[in-house]
Amino acid sequence: MRLGAAALLLALAAPAAAQPRDSLTIGITQYPSTFHPNIENMAAKSYVLGFARRPLTAYGADWRLACLTCETLPSLENGGAERETTPDGKAGIRVTFRLREGLRWGDGTPVSAEDLRFAWEAGREAATGFGPAEFYRSAYELIVVDPRTVTLRFDRVTFEYASMGDFQPLPAHVERARWQADPRAYRTRTAYDTETTNPALWNGPWRITGVQPGASVTLERNEAWTGAAPAFRRIVIRTVENTPALEAQLLAGQVDMIAGELGLPIEQAIALERRAGNRFRFTYQPGLIYEHLDLRHDHVALGDRRVRQALLMATDRATITERLFGGRQPVAHTSVNPLDPMHDPDVRRWPFDLARARALLDEAGWTPGPDGIRRNAAGERLSLEFMTTAGNRAREQVQQVLQGMWRQAGIEARIRNEPPRVFFAETLSRRRFQGLALFAWISAPESVPRSALHSDEIPREERNWSGQNYGGFRNAEVDALTHGIPEELDRERRRAMWRRLQAIYAEELPAIPLWFRADAHVWPQWLDGVRPTGHLNASPLWAEEWRVR
Amino acid sequence: MSRLALGLALLGALALAAIAAPFAADALGHDPFAPDLLARFEPPSARHPLGTDDLGRDILLRLLFGARVSLAVGLAAALAATVIGTAAGLLAAWRGGVTDAIVMRLADFMLALPALPLLVLLAAADPSRIGLPARGEPAGDVLRIVVILAVFGWVGVARLARAAALATLSRDHVRAARALGAGEARILARHVLPALVPPIAVATALAVAGAILAESTLSFLGLGISPPAPSWGNMLANAQDLVFSAPWAAMWPGLTIMATVAGCTLVADGVRRRGRAR
Amino acid sequence: MGRILPARLAQIAATLAILSFCAFALIALMPGDPIEVAIAGDPRLTSEDAARMRALHGLDRPFHERYLAWASGLLRGDFGYSRLFAQPVAALLGPALLSTLALAGTALLVALTLGVALGALAASRPRAAPAVDAIAVMGQAMPTFWLGILLIIAFAVTLGWLPAGGAAEAGAGLRYLVLPVATLAIAHLAAYARHSAASLEATLTEPWIRTARARGAPERIVLFRHAFPNAALPVLQIAALDAGALAGGALVTETVFARPGMGKLLYDAVMGNDTNLALVALLLVALTTMLATLGADLAQRALDPRLRER
Repeated sequence: MRLGAAALLLALAAPAAAQPRDSLTIGITQYPSTFHPNIENMAAKSYVLGFARRPLTAYGADWRLACLTCETLPSLENGGAERETTPDGKAGIRVTFRLREGLRWGDGTPVSAEDLRFAWEAGREAATGFGPAEFYRSAYELIVVDPRTVTLRFDRVTFEYASMGDFQPLPAHVERARWQADPRAYRTRTAYDTETTNPALWNGPWRITGVQPGASVTLERNEAWTGAAPAFRRIVIRTVENTPALEAQLLAGQVDMIAGELGLPIEQAIALERRAGNRFRFTYQPGLIYEHLDLRHDHVALGDRRVRQALLMATDRATITERLFGGRQPVAHTSVNPLDPMHDPDVRRWPFDLARARALLDEAGWTPGPDGIRRNAAGERLSLEFMTTAGNRAREQVQQVLQGMWRQAGIEARIRNEPPRVFFAETLSRRRFQGLALFAWISAPESVPRSALHSDEIPREERNWSGQNYGGFRNAEVDALTHGIPEELDRERRRAMWRRLQAIYAEELPAIPLWFRADAHVWPQWLDGVRPTGHLNASPLWAEEWRVR
Repeated sequence: MSRLALGLALLGALALAAIAAPFAADALGHDPFAPDLLARFEPPSARHPLGTDDLGRDILLRLLFGARVSLAVGLAAALAATVIGTAAGLLAAWRGGVTDAIVMRLADFMLALPALPLLVLLAAADPSRIGLPARGEPAGDVLRIVVILAVFGWVGVARLARAAALATLSRDHVRAARALGAGEARILARHVLPALVPPIAVATALAVAGAILAESTLSFLGLGISPPAPSWGNMLANAQDLVFSAPWAAMWPGLTIMATVAGCTLVADGVRRRGRAR
Repeated sequence: MGRILPARLAQIAATLAILSFCAFALIALMPGDPIEVAIAGDPRLTSEDAARMRALHGLDRPFHERYLAWASGLLRGDFGYSRLFAQPVAALLGPALLSTLALAGTALLVALTLGVALGALAASRPRAAPAVDAIAVMGQAMPTFWLGILLIIAFAVTLGWLPAGGAAEAGAGLRYLVLPVATLAIAHLAAYARHSAASLEATLTEPWIRTARARGAPERIVLFRHAFPNAALPVLQIAALDAGALAGGALVTETVFARPGMGKLLYDAVMGNDTNLALVALLLVALTTMLATLGADLAQRALDPRLRER
């Protein structure tokens, strides 16, 4: 019966395979709530817009910064960037970008310096409601040099001066009037959300031609695109939030591939590979999502470095990643990813060593009690509250495994989980957790973890709870390093500082490093050329290189 | 064997299994709460009669321990909703007028009140601050779940009870009894309550499965049973991601829930028929 | 009936007003807000950005001010904009409602017809009762998620007859409806079957049925003309409750079949503190529930002539 059905399926599928493939259906697990490039950041939007828009600069699959719509990356060496003093006497820098020749919006209008100026003006105005505004606060002047060239002046010098992040041309001929009428209402009037299929909004190899809210986005080739010719005439991106259902759609042939950026949990992908490894290609790309345990540094036990080290040595991370994640998620030794150019391969690695963990705990004054749980001289039990996001299956699994492992060392973990919005916005940011918190940081290549490590970033009521140093870690040298690294323009000197930062991290353990999450990309056998990145600049930014075998 | 006896025997057997859980753990000689990463997804064997789950824990033992939570939650929540709902529905039908309007609009209100924000609020509250058992204590967990489910569950029963009571109160024999000077309490007990038995018994039996499954939904908000304690609901929910590779992980809790539902259905039918035979 | 209708409608309006305030307060009181959560997911977003965004969306204004602004807008017929989707609320609700109506409406109809038919079968043919019970037990014990995924595996992955999910892009929408409707209908069928069987059985022993039988009325007539109107009471009540609940969408079915609808929209709106969207959707659900229960009560009066005299 099953065989018969399979044969029938094959017979049905055969004629389709004979035709040239010119469309690709991609499954992702989220639907973008807006299509405006600068309003609200979400992974689904970055993914979809990667096909239809191109920012000025982006980090590539090699984690190096590169030009996408500019001609050359400005640097002090090539004269594209120049140090200067700002009008109010601060150290500043001016950076000049030249847009690539032949870049056009979908309606044929050339992409110009005016489009960059509009984006900059809109971003400078607080009422517009762009997400991260740090960039616009720092870029205090934009000079249009010629129709394809702009110079930006910044009142802060960092080594990332050439990285433009989300700053990118917006079609001034469509959007400026809407914005000028009322910047406050721009968010609800932008053509990106009111007429998403207007070709003039898109300057990438494809343009959005159809939107089915909550379900799918259809893209067709953008005739005005002058870059490398894309292989696919049509791309459909379907949203299936439930991952078993997404897998079913893949197996039923309703989607051709599952994007790693927003795809299957690693365990599900590994299980699928075991069963259908010959029908699809699987690539696991470790990324910048750093799973770790934040801990209260003012806790009677966790405040002691030896207890933190013992906790880490009582944790068999290698076995966990091997058994739960098929060895696809690299064990972390600090918060710096091994793929990051600034990673130090010689940083201290704590092995799984139960005997040493026990010895360290003894030394720290926590000796085994009658129930197997350790106690200190005052008779307090070594019992830690252990929180994570409720409903996240992978984390709840890990939590229970850690609980079991630590028990071997005489440490009790009491699990209490909360829904993500409560956990992140109340418990963590108001520092209401009592012991350990399992969650992840998402970062960018070479991103300095100042907000998680600097002592000024410990959330406090007076400062309106800003900052992400939830554990309350304090270290004067780390404060100096996280402040100094961004301002050090010399790469090698910066590398030395990074090495020192990682050494302190591995020794002091401001947080317990676990592993870096990996994306599971599932492609059809016939698709070639997708280069997963593992960071916030998703693979569709280079989708014109995708080919049919 | 009558349906009632059969149903009670089935439920009794499940309850007995729940009580026997620690002895079974002793007999098999391993801990159903401690993960063993080297023994994930093992097929049934003498050591693990039903195999192991995604963290290498014995599925049979987890089913037995899970029965404690799930049976307690399912039966207690369904019974609590029934008692509250029957009382409210009966009161509304009997008093009529303003009482009826208030009780039934309160019911409508509860039906329409969004549960989600309320649950998120609850998830953030720390019960130990007002003297209740802290989260993670099994008894407190079960009590909290039962209260939540009963608060949202009584409305359906109330509507059924009111509808049936209204129909009965207008019957000739009730009017005749009233005319003969029977007391209100006697009328309610002798004439109205028996008429409520069929719909209420059915509704209670139906609510049991709903409550057992709803418990796992609550755990998505951190309001269910805290890991590593098992319940049938969270065993089912955990198996979801692995529906293709380890479907049997969902089969066992599914079967036990089915047995519970069958038991409740039989008991409900038995009660219903007894009431009629009288 | 002429007197009861205006009174009930007034009560409904009052309940809606109170409900809107309570729901608004609940959402406002919900701890944690999505803007804070966004910071955790985006390394470039700072606390200053979060404060600015909150001010921009008016979230920093006191609660009663926000409620009054919203309520007066609603009374003027202005539903406002959805904060989450940057769209007018009406434009978002329209398609979601249509999609939910197609799915839940069909499923409710199927469940009701099939359930009552099974119940009548069980009541009139005692030998069929165990089979009907078995179906009902399976329907209750099977979580919607598993039922949906099993149907997908059988009919979409293995047989390839029907789509595994999604909504039709243009036309041919019926094929996309079959599996989700089946899932939802099976989940709701048990209650109708069990209730109609129970109340039919109870009614069939009543004196007036015996009288009808004694007068020689055929069994079919006895069952449908005499017993059924009485037995319909619980079924009507359950249908009214289901209609209200389903107006709020069927979150699990929608998610498993990747169909946009009210369930997902409402969930996102509440979790995203999108008060404008959440409130209008919630009030719509509440209104449906109350109108449905009113309808059930009126139908009961129509079916049971004695009630009218009260």
